[in-house]
Amino acid sequence: MLSLSSLISKASSLIDPNILPPSLLNQVNGSTNDGQTPAVLFRSNFRLPDSESPLAVIPCELSLPTGEHYFGRLHLSESFLCFSSSAPSSVSGTSSSSSSTAGPPSCGFTLPLVAIRRVERLHSRSYLFALAVTTWHNDQKLTLQFNSLRSTCEKFCEALKKNLRSQMSEMKNLRMLVGSCYSEWLVTGGKSKDGAKEEPDAGLGMVWKYPGDAKKLRDRSKMRLWAEYLRENGRNITLIRQPTFHKLIRVGLPNRLRGEVWELTSGSLYSRLFNPTLYTDTLTEFSGRHSLSIDEIEKDLNRSLPEYPGFQSEEGIGRLRRVLSAYSWRNPDVGYCQAMNIVVAALLIYMSETQAFFLLSTLCDRLVPGYYSQTMYGTLLDQRVFESLVEKTMPILWEHLVKSDVQLSVVSLPWFLSLFINSMPLVFAFRVLDVFFLEGPKVLFQVGLAILRINGEELLDVTDDGAFISCLKNYFLRLDESAHPRSDNEKLRAVTRFQELMVVAFREFSGITEQTITDQRTKHKDSVLSSIESFAKRTTLRNLGPESKRLATNDLGYIYDRFYKVLYERQERLAAIELEKERLNEKKVMSSARSISEKSISEKGRIGLGPSSQLMDYDYFREFLAGVAKWAIADSPSQLFSPSLGGSLDPQWGNGRKKSINLSPWGDNAEPADHEFMQRLFRRWDTDYRSGLSLQDVVAGLAGIKGKKDIMESISYFFELYDDDGDGRVDREGILRISEALLFITRRGWETPPNIGDQSRNGEGKGGTDPFLGSVSGFIRRCFEYADPDQQGKQEEVSTGVEGMDELVDLLDLASDDEDDESVKSPVKEKGPFKGKEKENDEESKEKTSLEIDANTRPSAMSANIALDPANPLHITLPTFRMIVLADEVLEYFFETGFADSIVLSTDGSKTPSGRNMSAGASAFGNLGGGGIAGAKGLRGVLDNIVNDGMRVAQEVRRRMDEAQKEMERNAVPGKYKEDEEDEGDAKSILEGDRELLKGAEASVVDEAAKLAIKTGLPEDDGASGTLLVSPTSSLATTHVGEELRTPTTPMPTKVEFEMDK
Amino acid sequence: MADGGPKPSSSVKLVLLGEAAVGKSSLVLRFVNDDFQENREPTIGAAFLTQKCNLPSRTIKFEIWDTAGQERFASLAPMYYRNAQSALVVYDLTKASSLAKAKHWVAELQRQASPGIVIALVGNKLDLTNQSTGLEGSMGGLSLSAAAGEGDEEEEEEGDARQITTAEAKSYADEEGLLFFETSAKTGHNVQEVFTAIANAIPESTLKTRGGPGANRTGNSTGGDTFGSGGVNLSAVGETNKDGCAC
Repeated sequence: MLSLSSLISKASSLIDPNILPPSLLNQVNGSTNDGQTPAVLFRSNFRLPDSESPLAVIPCELSLPTGEHYFGRLHLSESFLCFSSSAPSSVSGTSSSSSSTAGPPSCGFTLPLVAIRRVERLHSRSYLFALAVTTWHNDQKLTLQFNSLRSTCEKFCEALKKNLRSQMSEMKNLRMLVGSCYSEWLVTGGKSKDGAKEEPDAGLGMVWKYPGDAKKLRDRSKMRLWAEYLRENGRNITLIRQPTFHKLIRVGLPNRLRGEVWELTSGSLYSRLFNPTLYTDTLTEFSGRHSLSIDEIEKDLNRSLPEYPGFQSEEGIGRLRRVLSAYSWRNPDVGYCQAMNIVVAALLIYMSETQAFFLLSTLCDRLVPGYYSQTMYGTLLDQRVFESLVEKTMPILWEHLVKSDVQLSVVSLPWFLSLFINSMPLVFAFRVLDVFFLEGPKVLFQVGLAILRINGEELLDVTDDGAFISCLKNYFLRLDESAHPRSDNEKLRAVTRFQELMVVAFREFSGITEQTITDQRTKHKDSVLSSIESFAKRTTLRNLGPESKRLATNDLGYIYDRFYKVLYERQERLAAIELEKERLNEKKVMSSARSISEKSISEKGRIGLGPSSQLMDYDYFREFLAGVAKWAIADSPSQLFSPSLGGSLDPQWGNGRKKSINLSPWGDNAEPADHEFMQRLFRRWDTDYRSGLSLQDVVAGLAGIKGKKDIMESISYFFELYDDDGDGRVDREGILRISEALLFITRRGWETPPNIGDQSRNGEGKGGTDPFLGSVSGFIRRCFEYADPDQQGKQEEVSTGVEGMDELVDLLDLASDDEDDESVKSPVKEKGPFKGKEKENDEESKEKTSLEIDANTRPSAMSANIALDPANPLHITLPTFRMIVLADEVLEYFFETGFADSIVLSTDGSKTPSGRNMSAGASAFGNLGGGGIAGAKGLRGVLDNIVNDGMRVAQEVRRRMDEAQKEMERNAVPGKYKEDEEDEGDAKSILEGDRELLKGAEASVVDEAAKLAIKTGLPEDDGASGTLLVSPTSSLATTHVGEELRTPTTPMPTKVEFEMDK
Repeated sequence: MADGGPKPSSSVKLVLLGEAAVGKSSLVLRFVNDDFQENREPTIGAAFLTQKCNLPSRTIKFEIWDTAGQERFASLAPMYYRNAQSALVVYDLTKASSLAKAKHWVAELQRQASPGIVIALVGNKLDLTNQSTGLEGSMGGLSLSAAAGEGDEEEEEEGDARQITTAEAKSYADEEGLLFFETSAKTGHNVQEVFTAIANAIPESTLKTRGGPGANRTGNSTGGDTFGSGGVNLSAVGETNKDGCAC
C-alpha cells in the first residue's frame, strides 16, 4: 500500500505547482484569493503568528508512530514546520487552496522548530528521500517522506537545517511553556524529569467550579479520551491533529483541558511561546498608569459574568482587570470595548491570565477583527454579512423580516459581539467556542443561521422587534431540553435542542466556509465603512468645539475630508515607499521581535477602520496646506525622490514625476513648500505641544485665520506668530521674518482689489502687477523707523538671521550702489537707520513696478547696515505694527482679506490649487533656482542656490528683464504677457533682440559681491505670479547695470536696477 | 397603572441615548420594573424592554431601546433610533461633560432620526444634589426599598454634586423644543412623569402611521435630512427644527 500511494503522489508531484522556489510560490498561491495574501492565508491556516511567512513547501507523506499515513504538504516558515493532509479526494489533485477553503484538514500539525529535538535522514530506499523527526516529547517519532525531485528535497532540508539552528535560542521559552500546560501534567501524572510540579493553572474553574454539571457533561470520560489521544499524538506544542482530535472537540472539551485546547487551536499558544514575558512585562510597565480605557474597564469589572462565583471574588475580578488592562495598553487602538469584559471573563474560567491575554489578542487581531475597534466596523460588517447570508439561505424568513420591519442585527449583534456568551447559557456558549476556536469565525455565522432556521416557523409569526427578541430569548433558555420530546424514538428524544443546533449549524450550513465569509466581508466592507464614516464625520464636526463655529459648515466638512485624506494617503504612501525600499534592497527582513499586535499596512487608511494616528506632524501639515493655499506649494520639486528629473528642470515636471510616483513622498500632489512661516503656523496651531496637529487643532487654527472678521484681529494674529516669547515685542529678526513671510505668501500673487491698484502710489493698472513688494519695502523701512530700542540691549543671536536680512534689506537699497556703499559704511545710529536714504529712496520706492532688480553691495557691508547692527537691538510692539500696516493700503487690504483668502477651503475645483496650475510658476522658480534642492528649503533655498549659480542666474534674470521690458513697451497692460517656453533658443533670441535695452544702462564693473532683488511677474493666466528675492554673494566680477524703465501704463518713471554677473 | 378597558392602544418606539454611566438603564429599569438591579451586565448593543403607559384617552405601549453608552457604540446608534418616535436623551446632573454629549445626541436625532421625533432631555441623578428631597410632585411607584445605589455610580458624594444648573439645561431644552425633566432613577423621582409626558406628546397622526408594512425602511442610515416640525403641535415640541449646531 505504501509503495502504491507513494507512487501516486510521486506522479502527482510532477504536475504539482507547489514545488517551486518560495518567490514563485507566492504568485501561485496569490491567485487563489484577492483579499488575502498567500502569507496571510498560510498563517491563518496554521494559526501562526504574524511574523511567520511561507518559506518552502514540499509534497510529503507523513507516517505516524500510531501507524497512520497521510499525504499532504509540508510547509516551512521561519520558526515552524507545518503539515496539512490533502483531503482524501484530492490526493492526486493539484488544488493549492484546498486547505483554506475546505473544512479542517483531516490531519495536520503546527510544530515549532524549537520543539524538534532531532531530524535524521533515512536511507531506507535509494530513490526515496525521508526524514525522521523526533519531537520534544521523546516518545514521538514522525516519518516524513518527501515526494519531489531530489534537488527540491535537498533545498528544503537545507532551509530546515538553517532555521532549526536559528531557533535554538528559544529553548528556554519552550520549557516554560510546556510546564504551564495542563496536558503535560495530565500525561506525565504530575511528575516530569524536572521534578514534581503542582497542577498548572487551568482557570478560575479549578477553585470556583466549572459551569455546568461535570457528571452530566461526562467530563471524566472525556478526560480519559483526551489523555489517551495526547499520549499517542503528542501534546500541547507537539500535538498532531488527527480526525479524532476534531471529533473530541465537537463533543465538547473537558473543563481542565479546555483553555489549553482553545489556545492550541486558535494559535495563541504560539504567540505565548515567543513572548513568554510580554504579559507580565506589560503589567509592570504600565502599573499605576491611567487611561480612558482603564476607567471604562473599572466600570465593568463588577458586571462581567456576575452570576459566576469566581467573579464575585477579588481574585477573579483582579484577574479580569489585569488581562483587560494589559491588552488595552498593548493595543491602544482598540483599548477596551464593552463585551470584551464578558469574553475575557469567560476565558478566565478555563485558563490562566497569561493564556487569556494572548487568546484575547488573537481574537481581536485575527478571529474577529474590528469587532472591538473604535468604530466597531468589524461588528457592523459581520452583521451585514450575516444579513446577506440569511437572505440567501432563508429567503422567506428574510422577506418576512423586511416586511415586518424587524431589523435582524438588533438581535444578532450581541451574539457575535460577545460570541454567544451572554446569549446562551454558559455551558452551551462554551461548546460553541470550542468549535469557534478550531474552525474560525464562520462558526458564528453557522450557529446564527441555525438558530434562525430552527426557529423559522415561529419567527414567521413575529411582526415586531419585541416579539422577535423574546422568541429567541425563550429558545436559548430551553437549549437543554429535548429537541423531539414527543418522539417515539428514545434516541431521538434524547437529542437536546443544543445538539440539534450543532447538527443544523455544521451539517445544513456546511456550505458556509471561511472563504464565503471572506468574500462576503470584502463585498460589503466598503459600504459599511462609508456609513460609519459619514456618521463619524457628522459627529466629529459637531464636536469640534466653539472655535469651529467661526467657519462655515461646508468649510468644516472640507477641512475634515482634507485632513483625513492627507493623513491616510500619506500614511499609505509612506508605507508603500517603505515597502518598495525593502523590496529594492531585496532584504528579507526576518523580524526577530515578534510583536503580537503587528498590523498589516493595508488594513489602515480609512476612518471607518478606526484611528491609527490622528495627529499630523509637520510634513503632513505641509501637505495639508499645499492643498488649500497656493503659497504653500513648493517652487521647485525636490529631486530626492524623483530620479527621473535628473539635472534638467523640465517645466513640465508634472509629467516627469508620474514615472517615479511611488517613490515620491508627496505622491501625485504638488510638493509643499517648507518655509519658516509654515513652521511658525504649525507651532502656533499645535496648542498641546504634541508636535502634531489634531483635526481640532487644524480647525481652530484655520478658524484663527479665516474666521476673523476684524482686520485688527488678523494683524494681532500675525504679530503673535512672530512674538516668540510672548512679551509683546518683535525684534529685528522678527521684523525681517515677517516681511519675508509676507512676500512668501504673496509670491504667487494675490487678488488686489481694483481700487487699490488705481490709487496705489505707482498708479499701476488694476491687478496687473503686484504692488506688494513696494509695500513690504515700505513696511520694513517704517518698522525700523518706528521701532523702539531695546533698553536692555540684549545681545541677539544673529547668526541665522543674517542671510534673511540680506535679502530683505536689498529691497530698500534702491539707490545707486555708490550711495549705498556710503550709507552702509557709515555707522548710523539706531532709530534712524534710513534717515539718509529715505529721502532719496522715497520717490523711487513709491514707483516700483513689477520688475525690480536691485543690485549692490557685498554682504559684509550689509551686515554693517544700521538697521541690522546687532549692537543696537530694537523691537516693535503690536500698536506699532498695527500702525505701520494700516498706513499702507496694500498691507491693510492684505490683512483685511488677502491673507484669509489665500487659504481656499471651498471644494470649488477651479479655486483649489493643484500641482498642474502651479507648474508654470514652479518652473520659473525652478530655473532660477538652478536645482531642485531649492524646493525643500523654500524661498531661502532658492536664494541660496542663486548665490551658488550666479552666472547662470544673472543671465536668466537679464533675459527676464528683457522679456518684460519688451512686453511693457509693446503692451499697455504689464504682466499680461504670455510666458514663453523657457528653452535656450528662445532666451537667446530675446537677448539678441533686446541688446539695445542694455545700451543705456548704467553699467560698471564692481569686483565685489553682487546683490539682486528681482521681482518677476508671471502670467496672470496661470493664476500665479511670483516674487523672488535674490541675493547672490558671488565672488565673480559683476557688472552693475542700472536702468530706468518707463512703464507705459504709468505716468511716473520707474526705476529698475540690477546688477549681474557677466 | 392597570389596563383600563378597551381604550385605543398603540405602541411607540422609544430610544435612550446618552453618555456612559448617566443612568439610562437605571431609568428604564425604574420605569419598567420599578426596581434597581446591581451589577447588571453592560448593555451590549442595546437592550429591549416594553412597558405600558396609561393615558386617560389611550394606552401607549413603549418599546424601549436602551442603548450602550460607551463612545464607540455610538456608530451603532442609528440602528436603534431608526423609526423611533421618541427619544430620551439622558445626562448626568453631576457631570458637566455629559450635557455636551446629550446636546450632540439631540442634534443627531433632529437631523437623522424620523421627522417629528419627540425628544425629552433628562438630567438624572437628582438624588446626588441637595435638591433631591425638596421637590414634590412625584407620582406613585416611588419605592425606596431599592435605594442601594447603582453599580456603576461609585463616586457618590455627600451634599450637592450638581454641576449643571436647572436653568442652564432648561433654557437649552426650550431653545431646542425638548421636553425637560430632572430625575432620580434611584428614588424614582420624576421617572414616571418623563414617560407620561412623552406619551402625551406623541401626536395622534404618528401613532396611526406606525408599524405599517415596510414603512420607512432605509437600513442603517435612516431618516432624511429634511426635518420638519410638521405634525408636532405640542408647545413643548414646537420648534424642533432649529439649527442649533454647525452641521
